[in-house]
Formats: sequence, C-alpha cells, structure tokens
Amino acid sequence: MDIAPRSGGAVEAPSLLAYDRDHINELLTALARLDQQMGQPVPKRHLNAGIVGIEIAPEMVVEAGRALRDSLGFEMLTCISGVDMIEQLEAVYHFRSISHFWLLQMRVKTPTSDARIPSLVGVYSSANWLERETYDLYGIQFIGHPDLRRMLLDDEFEGHPLLKSFRTTPSVVHDRATTQVDPIRAISGEQQRKQERTVLKRLGQGQQERIHPGMTTFGSEAVFLETGQGVGTDANAMHGYTIDEQYLDPASKPQEE
Amino acid sequence: MATHIPTEAAGFIEDASGLRSEEMILNMGPQHPSTSGVLRLVLTLDGETVINCTPVIGYLHRGMEKIFENRPYIHGARYIDNADYLNPMINETAYVGAIEAIMGIEAPRRAQYIRLLVSELARIASHLVAIGTYGLDLGAFTPILWCFRDREGIMDMFESLSGHRFTHNYMRPGGVVHDFPRGWIQQCEAWLNNFEKVSIPELDELLTGNEIFDARTQGVGYIDPQQAVAYGLTGPNLRASGVNFDLRVARPYGAYREVAVRPQVRQEGDCFARYQVRLQEMSESVRLCRVALDKMPGGSISQRVPVALRPPRGEAYYAVETGRGELGIYMISDGSEYPWRAKYRSASFLNLQILPELMRGHKIGDVIAILGSIDIDLGDVDR
Repeated sequence: MDIAPRSGGAVEAPSLLAYDRDHINELLTALARLDQQMGQPVPKRHLNAGIVGIEIAPEMVVEAGRALRDSLGFEMLTCISGVDMIEQLEAVYHFRSISHFWLLQMRVKTPTSDARIPSLVGVYSSANWLERETYDLYGIQFIGHPDLRRMLLDDEFEGHPLLKSFRTTPSVVHDRATTQVDPIRAISGEQQRKQERTVLKRLGQGQQERIHPGMTTFGSEAVFLETGQGVGTDANAMHGYTIDEQYLDPASKPQEE
Repeated sequence: MATHIPTEAAGFIEDASGLRSEEMILNMGPQHPSTSGVLRLVLTLDGETVINCTPVIGYLHRGMEKIFENRPYIHGARYIDNADYLNPMINETAYVGAIEAIMGIEAPRRAQYIRLLVSELARIASHLVAIGTYGLDLGAFTPILWCFRDREGIMDMFESLSGHRFTHNYMRPGGVVHDFPRGWIQQCEAWLNNFEKVSIPELDELLTGNEIFDARTQGVGYIDPQQAVAYGLTGPNLRASGVNFDLRVARPYGAYREVAVRPQVRQEGDCFARYQVRLQEMSESVRLCRVALDKMPGGSISQRVPVALRPPRGEAYYAVETGRGELGIYMISDGSEYPWRAKYRSASFLNLQILPELMRGHKIGDVIAILGSIDIDLGDVDR
C-alpha cells in the first residue's frame, strides 16, 4: 500500500438507510394523493436500497401514469424492464422526479398467455422505445403504441429471447464443420483450389454473398442447402459425412482437373 | 433492429412558385465514420432539409441481459465492461452496487473512495473521447489526437491498477480487487496536474473560440428542458438544457455522500452547450479526484463476500451517473447463483430517442453536428 490516510476519519461510511429515510417518508406522504386519485388504495412496498414500489393493475396504467406525472411530479419515465416470472410477465416501470429527487417503482403484472398492457406513450415520450424494447425481448403487447416493432432484434427473428422458455442453444444441432481443411491437402493446395472453383460456380462473381475461398465455412447438410456454400462431395466423404446426391446441382459439381 | 422501415411513398412538395420537388430517402450508416459505431439513420430529405429521421439500431446487440441471466453474478461484473465501453469502471460500479443493495452490504469506506476516484477518471476518459471525436466530426483533426494522448495516461493508470487497459474487471461485490500499486498515487497526481494545467486549456483554446466550431454548433440542435425530461434524457445532454439533475447529487451513492459534486449546468440547450458541459465536467472531475486522493481513508479495500455468491431473494434498482447519463441496473435475485433478471438501463439508448425531434428542419450538414453532440455509444445503445 502506497498511501497513508491523509485525513483520519471513520472507516465506516454513513448508512444508506439513514440517508434514505427522509426521502422515503416524504414520498410515502405524497403517494397518499395517488390513492385518492385512483379511488382505491395502491399497494406500496419499501424495497432494498431505499426504493418505494407500488403495484398497479394493467387497466389502470395510463391513469396512474398521468396521476404520477401531473399531481405527484414524476416528470421522467426512466426505465421499463420486462420480467418473466413464469406464472406471469411483469413490466417494471421506474419513474424519477427531477424536482424532488424521488424514485418510484411501479409493477404491472400480466398473464403470460395474453400479455397486454396499455401504452404510456401518450403520457411519457420516453416510453416509445422502452416499450418497443420490452415488446421485442418479452413479447408484451403495448396497446395503443403508435409503432410497435422490434427494436434491437431483426424483424425476421422468431420468439422473444428474454423469456425463460427461450432456448439459448439451437434445437437443431448441426454437424461439426466439414470444411476445415485436412492438413495434408491444405499443404498441396488441392482443397483450396477445389473449394474456390465450387464457390465461384455456385454463387457467381459477387452475385450473392461472396465467400472468400479457403474461409472456414459450416457445411452440414442443412446449411449447405440454405447458403450454397459448396464443398466437394469427396471432401465431405473424407470426414465421414455423406450428402444426398439429389440435393446437388449436377452443373456445380466440382470437375476433376 | 427493425430492418423494415415504414416510410410513406415519396411525396411531391410544391412551393409557392409552382416548382415541384420530390422527397428523397437517404440511408446513412450502418458503416459511416461519423456515427461512432454501427448506427443507421434513414433520413427523409427535401432538398437539403431533413424532414424525418429514423434511427435503426441493434447492429451491435449481443443479448447482454440474457448472458447475465445465464452466468454467475461475478461474471456479469466483467461482461458489463463491454456494454458502455468508454467508461467500463462506472458500469462495474453500477453492477456490483446492485448486488450489494440486494445483499444489504456496503463496501468499506476506502473502497468507496477508490470507486469514486476511478469513476471520475473514467468520466474524464469518456468525455475526452466525446470531445475528440466531436471535433473530428466537425472537421478538426487535432483535438482527437490530443484527447487520445491524454486518455492514454488514464488507460495506463487503469492498467497498472487492474491489469487491463479497457475491460478492467476491477470491482467486486463488497469492494475492489486490488489496492494501489507502488507509485500509483504520484502517477495520478502528476497526470491530474498536467491535465488541468496544460491539456484542458489547450483543448479549450483549440475548440471553444474556433470560428468554424462556433458556427456549426451554436444554435444548432436545441433541446427544450421539458422535452428533454419527457424523453428521459440524462447526463450532460440534460444539464446542457438547463435542468439541474445529476445523480451524484440527486441520489448520491458510495463516497458521493461525503464528497459534494457541483453539477455543471448550461442554459442554452444547443450543441455548443453540450460540448461546454462536458468540458466543464472534466475540470470538475479533476477536482473530485483531488478530493478523493486527499480524503482517501485507510482500512480494508473489500468485505469478505463468499466466492459462490448467492444473494438473498430480492430486487434492487441501482443507478449511477456515467459520462452519458443514468446507468441503472435493475436486478432480481431468486436466491440462486444466477441473477433472475439483470436489466441494463442505458443512457445512450434514451438519449438517442430524441434524435428525430432534433433533426427535423435542420440541413443535412447539421446531422453529424447534432449526432456527435449527444455523444452516444453504440455498445451502450444496443447492449
């Protein structure tokens, strides 16, 4: 250790709880107004790290958001997190008050089979992308959202990947890569020449995706058919794989020199 | 990444003299030197005026939140470095802070001061990249060289502290991994002195008074304070619009409870104000680093925390102020070794959302000036 303490002082930091106590009391007092606006008591919970959480039924979301913004002073919707709790999906909203430095957590539960929550875009502009992201990753439909498309993933992506039921490993296990060059043939350059010719023949010069000759590709049967990454049949046979002849275009078969 | 962009059929626009012009759709990116990553902007143009702008993101999506769920807690602290790769130290602080909040423990006071010190250094490094690349976007080549020269000093310090230049893996639940190596404090003080006396005035002189820089940034890309709050902007972008909101003050965490931060606020709300807020924040960070070095307490740097970490059931939202704004980790623990949910609330993602509002009505030459001024980090946007 290089530095001696230059000013003494306690080793313990002041407790977070003591700091939060005043804030939380203020916030709880203010939340009593929310009960009045909603016409029914809203369940409140004091969570870790000094956060107050409330729970709202899905059909009350817009009303609650408007009440939070207009009469309680939560100007900012800072975060929407989807949560998959197996029995139900949840959307957890975090609101921030710029003027009072409050943070409020709002939990909305919706059944997994029919996950629908009204959209908050009309109240908070920041909800737009946040809801799109939650829809993308969890499949929660936000009713009334002006443009509910996928945010981070591709349009053709199937499924919603942050659901616990989503498989992280592909259900179809492909064979091992077959075009890894056999060392002996690599030295002679035979494999590379053969592969290059095949690829050029199948795809044409830059017509579709251009595969650099010699690049390691994945040549199992399924991939072979989809992408047309041509590999000579004998190369596959060498590694113990057989490809059904009917799938091969006879014109593109590598010809012997 | 929504590849399908619903755009109306290009319409005809007729001006007063009866001349007709046609809307044009221009794809900018995803490979563009000024988008600071893989961002695609679909611009609808009328002549040189931007009518609409649709950002398309997701080219760098790595499924980070799913990866957190399938790894033990401690692995996430390393992997979160890659999210906002320009200030990884602060990301780690947020991640381990969320775990600590669930467990109900606090790092020792020395560890909190070390966290503050490295966070402020990381903030300087992040702002240096922001300002340097912004100058480059606007045609000034020198600032980026000088900024990266200064940033190199921070990288060297982080390397000797943590062992890694870029992805530090330095924070742990309950503290930090290493104490300062021999000579580190002197190195840091020398760097701070040099940076404050030489580099900031140089940078200031290079850009602030520059006629071209002024002309391209002043009065361009104005953000209304109400609009900024409604769109969830945080960080320098929000403070440049006159909203005094800084999480280090609003909800101080760690050693910020003892070290008072002076938030840097500008009222103008344009690109120039955002640049100036960053420049001022660097000076403020230098001051905070000095305070941290001065008040650095003794004692242990880490609590005893089990290696196979199993936080109790519970949830926490832990937010810190990065160079770009609020970084929040919403974490749910089910009592196992793996987080049930670890949401990464990124600042850049929400800062980027306001972009179409800013672009409308500006000329195409201002697109880069506006995009550079909100300082997004595509690793942070796409996660």
